[in-house]
Amino acid sequence: MTTSLLAKRSGGRLALLLALALLLIPYLHALATGQPETGSAGLAALHSRAESVYCAKGSTPTGTILLVETLLIAVATLLARGWKTHGNPLQEGLARHGPYLFVFLLLTTIPFLLAWRTGSSACTRGKAFFWESVFIDVFILAILAISYNLLFGFAGIVSFGHAAFFGMGAYTVGLLMKHLAFPWVAAVIVALLVGVVIALIKGVVGLRIRGLYFALFTLAFAEVFFLLAGNRILVDITGAEDGFTFAVPDFLNMTKNRLFFYYLTLVLMALAFWLVRRLMGSPTGQVLRALRDNEERARMLGYNTFTFKLIALVLAGILATGAGVLRGIALKGASPNVLGVGFTFDPLLATIIGGIGTFSGPVLGVFILRLVEQMLRDTVLTLGSVQIDIGERWALILGVIFIIIVLAFPKGIVGTLQEQYRRRKGG
Amino acid sequence: MTTKLRSGFWRQSLLIAGLFAIALLALNFLIFDTGIVAVVLLSGFYQGMLFFLVAAGMSIVFGLLDVLNLAQGSFFMLGAYVGFAIYNALPEGTPITVRFVAALVGAVVFGGVLGAGVEIALLRPLYVRPIFQIVLTFGLATAITELVRGIYGPSGLVPVEPPAALNTTIAVMRGQFETYRLFIIAVGLVLMIGISLLLQRTRLGIIIRAGVQDSQMVEALGINVRRVFTLVFALGTAVAALGGMTAAPFLGAYPAMGEQFLLTAIIVIVIGGMSSFEGTAIAALLVGLTRATVEQISLQYLNTPILASISILVFMVVVLLVRPTGLFGREA
Repeated sequence: MTTSLLAKRSGGRLALLLALALLLIPYLHALATGQPETGSAGLAALHSRAESVYCAKGSTPTGTILLVETLLIAVATLLARGWKTHGNPLQEGLARHGPYLFVFLLLTTIPFLLAWRTGSSACTRGKAFFWESVFIDVFILAILAISYNLLFGFAGIVSFGHAAFFGMGAYTVGLLMKHLAFPWVAAVIVALLVGVVIALIKGVVGLRIRGLYFALFTLAFAEVFFLLAGNRILVDITGAEDGFTFAVPDFLNMTKNRLFFYYLTLVLMALAFWLVRRLMGSPTGQVLRALRDNEERARMLGYNTFTFKLIALVLAGILATGAGVLRGIALKGASPNVLGVGFTFDPLLATIIGGIGTFSGPVLGVFILRLVEQMLRDTVLTLGSVQIDIGERWALILGVIFIIIVLAFPKGIVGTLQEQYRRRKGG
Repeated sequence: MTTKLRSGFWRQSLLIAGLFAIALLALNFLIFDTGIVAVVLLSGFYQGMLFFLVAAGMSIVFGLLDVLNLAQGSFFMLGAYVGFAIYNALPEGTPITVRFVAALVGAVVFGGVLGAGVEIALLRPLYVRPIFQIVLTFGLATAITELVRGIYGPSGLVPVEPPAALNTTIAVMRGQFETYRLFIIAVGLVLMIGISLLLQRTRLGIIIRAGVQDSQMVEALGINVRRVFTLVFALGTAVAALGGMTAAPFLGAYPAMGEQFLLTAIIVIVIGGMSSFEGTAIAALLVGLTRATVEQISLQYLNTPILASISILVFMVVVLLVRPTGLFGREA
């Protein structure tokens, strides 16, 4: 028992190490083969040398290596899953975590795939460059959806005010850097602390009241921030309805260093995903699940349900605030709409489409929502004499999709698939 | 009512509400001239009545069906838009009074029919999964708002002209007050009394009140509770739509109005205690008065009405801390 558990653990770690090692290869390759620069030395020179390789237009060796690695992981995972296990930790690790590694590697390949297919560069203005920004938006929203799912799907706490975290993240980091000249690290830390404080206030005031009251409380709570942000009384600080812009350091500047920002948001999304998975696998996570299923019973078993709910709320708050911070930095500004109902509705919708209480559901939901929206943006659908501009009516279409899914597929895509898989397996 | 008065909890709640109202009044007389006090009070009543119209349906529906209808604000907004459409669609030469009454009736009918449709088609399949009903009405609210925005554009419509008698101002003490606001107060009062008579004095009211207590038991007694559910839901949305059209000559019609009134209505029913009709009525007036008072204070001293919205939120938080189920809510 102990040995197999040990193997499982080290297997996951081995698989992770393998993936990280694979990720270093393209960069090392780029360094080794880039056009040598004369006269200059140091890290900057090395970096620009590598840049000349992976920033080339069309297909790049970096992209090719990444693609090959992605396919290798896919094949290895399939093999690891197909063979009988002999207690080989790497094989078990691959079988368990392979699919996630594959998706992660695929996402690291995407900028280069795009550059290759569209004949543009991954680092300068062009099609690939544009799509990278779409994916950055997706990653940020995915963090928000993961956070929403932690609260709603796993802990069973319904919140209609998640936008408060998201928006306050963007506002705090921006206002501190703009008006008080905070360095970015300090601004990010303070913003996350603000998220914790909001979660604690919500928790201490709100969690004492039961289910529905809490949902309404959070809705009203978020509205306070929305009203404050849009009000003219604070126009010198927040810019009222128009919002404000602020300067970010060059390496965090999405227009200048988009590829870096792409990987930064991707890694942070993966971290958020991993964190929630670890949490839900831990004893704390088990208690949260028990709470969701039957709060009375969890209390009878001796758990302090308030503390556990507060833990879930604070963690979800940190994740959502972090997503807001990223959004603020990505757009180099914030406006009241980050505090609006939309940023509560979007993660809720993504969670429900993907599957409530599943790990990959919310992420999948966000990917589907944003990518489909982007692809259909300029499409005009003609039904008889009625012309529907899909880009303009997107919010309405989403609302209708939402209603249909709630009625017909309450478990979402991942939940429904899991159920079918289980049924087939069960015979 | 009499049995309720005898219960200590109820009397204590009434006492809290009464003390709060007296404190507000005292505050008013302390800082404003009497003329302004009259205007503030009337404005508080008028706002309170509008909040009541949106919140009444939500509260009864929640008590009976355990569904919180987050789309109620959208019905309020739809009432205004439908009323506008009828008002403007009538042939030229129709007197304004006829247009106005037709718009009111149209809004009520539309709200009721649509509400019944929503209950039958969307909510019925979800009674087994209660949390999803709320999530669904949340989505429905978004869909309706976007639909209206798509048809009429985001900017909204200019207020319509009410009948001449309602379109003047009268002197109240030393302040001026629009008669139309008095009309809104009257509509609110009539509905408040009407609904409470319906609940207290009719057979349907008995069924509804019994259903709020225990809907399974009512069903066991051989009453088609499902049909009562639909009826009550439709009644709630019809009242909200009427509220929207009543407010339209004053506020106009714009897509965001649903969301704004929804939020205040939520605060009202939370303060009143989610399923208590009397609580909702009292809370609506208290919230209206609080809003009007703070609005006047912040207009006088800060030159912006910002504090008004925040004050009622603070009010709600304080009430929740003192009484976690609201002023008149069932003791959970």
